Amino acid sequence: MGIVIAVISGKGGVGKTTAVANLGLGVAMNGKKCAVVDFDIGQRNLDMILGLENRVVYDMVQVMDGEASIKQAMIKSKVDENLHFLAASQSKDKSVLSSEKVYKLVKELKDNYDYVILDSPAGIESGFEHTIEFADAAIIVVNPEVSSIRDADRAIGILDSKSQKVKDGGEVAKYLIINRIVADMVQSGEMLRSEDILEILDIKLVGKVPEDNGVIDASNQGKPVILDKNSIAGQAYKRIAARLCGKKVEMKDIEVSDSSLFKKIAGIFK
Amino acid sequence: MFDFWKKKKSASVAKDRLSIAIMSDRGGRDIYPFMDDMKQEIVNVVKKYIGVRGVEIKKEIDGDWEAISIDVFLDKNV
Repeated sequence: MGIVIAVISGKGGVGKTTAVANLGLGVAMNGKKCAVVDFDIGQRNLDMILGLENRVVYDMVQVMDGEASIKQAMIKSKVDENLHFLAASQSKDKSVLSSEKVYKLVKELKDNYDYVILDSPAGIESGFEHTIEFADAAIIVVNPEVSSIRDADRAIGILDSKSQKVKDGGEVAKYLIINRIVADMVQSGEMLRSEDILEILDIKLVGKVPEDNGVIDASNQGKPVILDKNSIAGQAYKRIAARLCGKKVEMKDIEVSDSSLFKKIAGIFK
Repeated sequence: MFDFWKKKKSASVAKDRLSIAIMSDRGGRDIYPFMDDMKQEIVNVVKKYIGVRGVEIKKEIDGDWEAISIDVFLDKNV
């Protein structure tokens, strides 16, 4: 039986779907069977980021309604056969979701995969609540910026009160990804440091991802950035995926840029 | 030039503003991570001078105002 991880953010546009695509692929590349599911009904995007938009035949609502089996609806990734993808419904409204249907879908996925990663819609409404409802763990994606962090805290609050695990007296494990870090800005005091963000949100860190133009280049092509060996964001996702698979990978200090490191070293010889 | 050095860096302004905004968002949830420690410290300080039964800390929000009120319950035997 696998583990269900909901990827949430509160605010939109912080890189949630990019994170899901890359972590899903990264986990698969670690040899684990992984399913990624787009829960953003009506605003399907994970298919584009994974480069699988032309392969979608059935979506998750059709699976929930019994119009297609999971086997029929899951799309195998072109790059790694361990990664399977289930698309969001593009035509339906999020009101079609119900707790019973979501539970059935999540349970069946959990029985068939090692990792089930759910891409939550932005916001904190019903679509979000259904995504977190039966999750064992949550990954919260933030940018080092006030509105993203504040919205993430609201989402965490709802996660802590509405997930089934919490209602059953348990706890949902929570991990933070800080995305789009600009080292020079952190060094000059113009961007929040990761320690500050962790202190404010009071949760554990699973990884830091630097700002990287390669991310847009990757989404243009439908090839997750983790496949780009030269991408610093891709390398960061590789490290996070390995951590999710239980490997000990040191937290790289991406908040120190090469230029400031150089200045420090230069300073020693002054 | 002098002003430049005196000016607070925007990241620390962000941290201060965020801490306050999030604290007020959490409102009823009343999750001050430091609350238990703070209570214990207050008890310890007051105890040095007078018997204490307990401390209760409440948060109040009234329009733009936010306050925490601290009630210290004294021991009857004092």
